[in-house]
Amino acid sequence: MVLDAKIPEGKLEDKWRNYQIQSKLINPANKKKLSVIVVGSGLSGAGAAATLAELGYDIHCFCYQDSARRAHSVAAQGGINAAKNYQHDGDSIWRMFYDTLKGGDFRSREANTYRLAELSAPLIDHYTQQGVPFAREYGGTLVNRSFGGVQVQRTFYARGQTGQQLLLAAYSQLYKMVRSKKVTMHTRSEMMDLVVIDGKAKGIIVRDLITGELQRYVADAVVLATGGYSRVFRLSTLAIGCNGSAIWKAHKKGAYFAAPSFTQIHPTALPQSSEAQSKLTLMSESLRNDGRIWVPKKKDDTRVANDIPEDERDYYLERRYPSFGNLAPRDIASRAAKERIDAGHGVGRLKNAVYLDFKHAIERFGKQTIADRYGNLFTMYKKITGVDAYTKPMMISPAAHFSMGGLWVDYELMTTVSGLYAIGECNFSDHGANRLGANSLLQASVDGYFILPNTINNYLAQEIKSERPDIHHVEFDKAEQGVKDYVDRILSVDGTKTADHFHRELGKVMWNDCAMSRNKTGLEKAINQIEDIRRQFWSDVKVTGESKELNTELEKAYRLADFIELGILMCKDALQREESCGAHFREEYQTEDGEAVRVDDQFTFVSAWDYDEGNFALHKESLEFEFVQPTVRSYK
Amino acid sequence: MKITFKIWRQEGPNDKGGFQSYEVNDLTEDMSFLEALDHLNEILVLKNKKVVAFEYDCREGICGQCGVFINGRAHGPHDNMTTCQLHMRSFEDGATITVEPWRARSFPIIKDLIVNRSAFDRIIENGAFISAKTGTAPEANAILISKTVSDRAMDAAACIGCGACVATCKNSSAALFTSAKINHLNGLPQGAPEAHQRVLDMTAQMEKEGFGHCSFTGACEVECPEGISIVNIAEMNARFIKAKIFG
Amino acid sequence: MTLFFRKSIIAATGLFLCIFLIVHLSANCILLLPEDMARGMYNSYSTLLRESPLIKIVAYLLYLSIILHVVYALIVTIKNKRAKPVGYKVSNTKENSSWASQNMGLLGVFILIFIVVHLANFWARIKLGLGEEVGTDSVGNKDVYEVTSHLFHNIYYVLFYSLLMFPLGFHLYHGLKSAVKSLGFYHRKSLLIISKVSLIYAVIVSAMFGIIPFIVYFK
Repeated sequence: MVLDAKIPEGKLEDKWRNYQIQSKLINPANKKKLSVIVVGSGLSGAGAAATLAELGYDIHCFCYQDSARRAHSVAAQGGINAAKNYQHDGDSIWRMFYDTLKGGDFRSREANTYRLAELSAPLIDHYTQQGVPFAREYGGTLVNRSFGGVQVQRTFYARGQTGQQLLLAAYSQLYKMVRSKKVTMHTRSEMMDLVVIDGKAKGIIVRDLITGELQRYVADAVVLATGGYSRVFRLSTLAIGCNGSAIWKAHKKGAYFAAPSFTQIHPTALPQSSEAQSKLTLMSESLRNDGRIWVPKKKDDTRVANDIPEDERDYYLERRYPSFGNLAPRDIASRAAKERIDAGHGVGRLKNAVYLDFKHAIERFGKQTIADRYGNLFTMYKKITGVDAYTKPMMISPAAHFSMGGLWVDYELMTTVSGLYAIGECNFSDHGANRLGANSLLQASVDGYFILPNTINNYLAQEIKSERPDIHHVEFDKAEQGVKDYVDRILSVDGTKTADHFHRELGKVMWNDCAMSRNKTGLEKAINQIEDIRRQFWSDVKVTGESKELNTELEKAYRLADFIELGILMCKDALQREESCGAHFREEYQTEDGEAVRVDDQFTFVSAWDYDEGNFALHKESLEFEFVQPTVRSYK
Repeated sequence: MKITFKIWRQEGPNDKGGFQSYEVNDLTEDMSFLEALDHLNEILVLKNKKVVAFEYDCREGICGQCGVFINGRAHGPHDNMTTCQLHMRSFEDGATITVEPWRARSFPIIKDLIVNRSAFDRIIENGAFISAKTGTAPEANAILISKTVSDRAMDAAACIGCGACVATCKNSSAALFTSAKINHLNGLPQGAPEAHQRVLDMTAQMEKEGFGHCSFTGACEVECPEGISIVNIAEMNARFIKAKIFG
Repeated sequence: MTLFFRKSIIAATGLFLCIFLIVHLSANCILLLPEDMARGMYNSYSTLLRESPLIKIVAYLLYLSIILHVVYALIVTIKNKRAKPVGYKVSNTKENSSWASQNMGLLGVFILIFIVVHLANFWARIKLGLGEEVGTDSVGNKDVYEVTSHLFHNIYYVLFYSLLMFPLGFHLYHGLKSAVKSLGFYHRKSLLIISKVSLIYAVIVSAMFGIIPFIVYFK
């Protein structure tokens, strides 16, 4: 299949407008007759559900949590980017577009990335209107701060809780539409499979997480907004419930999976402290605005941080990347930390961390200013570690974070299955091989609020003419039976090891061979190891309880089964891409001083994988750079 | 570490339920409380027993999904903290930890330690929004908002909706939750057009859900992970009077 | 919101009763004077109170306040109990709130018992003329002083009147500061001051009421 991204004609700045002018419209009376399923209630899901409902569609929205307000968008701390140029520091849509494209190491589409930047400014207006208490100057105007990979100040924030505040706004708007009876909210409901009828996405099979009953929902289009899959590493900054199952099921039903190996390792999380650990807590990247990252110059230095004099500290980011310093992009900062830790300069009990020091910032601005900027992050750090970061440097370590990869979507955010859309983190669209800080909330929101509601009509306009299938359609029967068999199969293994055991095994393999740096041998070995884990899982996993009840252990197991398969695809994708770009660093492709080497003549494409009975076939969407020339990505 | 967990087990909403004791030997101080429960569950699975159902998601104190009563306090022994932020170093080796679900008529038990907090969603549904549609917003800096006003709105907006306030309140009052949301939105100029109706609708729903009266014991603000002040409740009362007179 | 309405009734009547206590206490202070001075003043003051029409209105307000306060407290308590039908096996409220705030109902019951006894001791005899007849003093006023003095020479009454001032103190301390909040006063700095004022008020009122019976006893 030839992948057509359906990029509109015209100059870069005209493309979105041209698209809107040409797309089909649906009159309000007809919108009422059309229904859309939205899976996920984070920024993209809630935003899309609320906006589509405002437009008049009949919406069913699903989330696995007990409330839409828990979606993991809630955990984003630092902020959201927008090209408002309020700081008068030379920002513009074009600059933001370029920063994002460069940040992604020229592995995303120009048109998509430009649209992201273009719609960023109205998004801030929207959220302000919805009551998000963004930080303000004394004069009453909005404040901005800097974020990694950028030399202007374009990040808007609400203390260290930006994601939470944006999500609460989206959740409020969603519940406003629930009250208007335009949205039916299904909480504690997990999508188990996609139903495709005559090549079109027409419904989903849902498991009620309280009763374990399987339910069928039919609609004229299905929107997936299910977030990222970095829990494949087990230890990540994601919520424990985050999973890749919805997109994996869609992938198995024909949606191509794009660039699965593009996963971001965040440089500033709290280090792992024990085997039993379930999660790595993120400390906002915004801390790198004022915090300085260093390790002791001496290997295996056992002195406490404050006893190490200035001239024996190695501020390695400032040393290696003088122009961006501590604000180098995430992939680069993570890799630099890994390099120092591997070289024996790591700190902490397990020697797996680096220092993030606020001493100089406190000396310069005073403790109060630092507390104003990051107070809740310091409090959080103290709650978790018991250490006061005002007096001792924080210890941080890289952790699996964002997945740039996801379902392949065209300019309209439609996947390769007609009528199936993927929005927010679960698609592959704007970030290329690496996402810049504070662009995640932006992409999720823009997809949900502004893009999807303007593209879905182009598809639904035809669907109005065709009859909506019945939930007793044979495809529904098949899908439901498939889910039932799958769940029963997991329960019937009755082996000797827990789901968590296998998840830990999978996580170790993924972290060692498919995380910050990768090589051919390691990836090939990893694929074999994961195949082994898969075999063992299906012959030796033990899940207690039944399918027709609230069973958290069962949920873990069936999500893990998908992660195992996804892990294999990630390794295959990483293996196939014989170059280093963004977060994907192949050890075979680096300069003498350890910088990434891109191979543009062979790999300027988006890899899109087709699933075929357990095998994956690679398709390539070639990336055309019409307006910007890819350059060597340097932050030196 | 050796810990004895005394945990409330209840199969379903209509089951009677009761405490079960579990001794776990190989815990470490670095473990979070929820990781200790994870560990207990792995042991239970291998013993062919059903796992303890408990809630969690983000495990970094922001999503609000986790929450149990630990040794007589919502979210455990520390002030202003979520259950997921609690670590085993807060307990003595050999201790017995009693774990109970949130107790309130409006939060019926679903299973074991999991309760149904959808009453909160319904309070939000009844007015905790600004009814402007996507696409109608004016330029963000067109309305200036002083830092003080914005900061106060943010203080209230920080609520994570975990339900600890209701759980710890002897009257199961949802006044802190409701007032935080009202003060967040009504404190901002964007929320002004619907301010009165919002107070009336949200408080009416709060009552309809069967939450009790606020006695200002102050327990809620101590247990609130975000430290939301009970002064918010007083402010809600003032807004209510104003809404009754001018609304 | 009837939740708010009920609490407002309790708060408003409570605040009114707080003011009444000050007036009541000021009268009791007469008892601290030497006997010959105190008897005349005390008796004429109480006659004034009995006969003034203005005070009559206030007195009815007072009865109404007490009744409303009690009735609504009862309703609120029942409703609250219904909102939390199952309690906790282990409850550590002392770590997050004051004992008084958690036990306003219990404290209220003690105070109610006190009021009943107190009314039986004085109001029933003087106002309703029940029980032993009250004599008159040299100027013809009802000798309320004698009634008081007689009562407080019984050590059991002295102990009863004094000890029950403890629940009163705790009830006032929490009641006063939370009543203003129930009524919608939310100025943060003032609330801090009000909290201190509540403490001072509660200590002074309950201590004074509690000490006077002893002073009379030893006079």
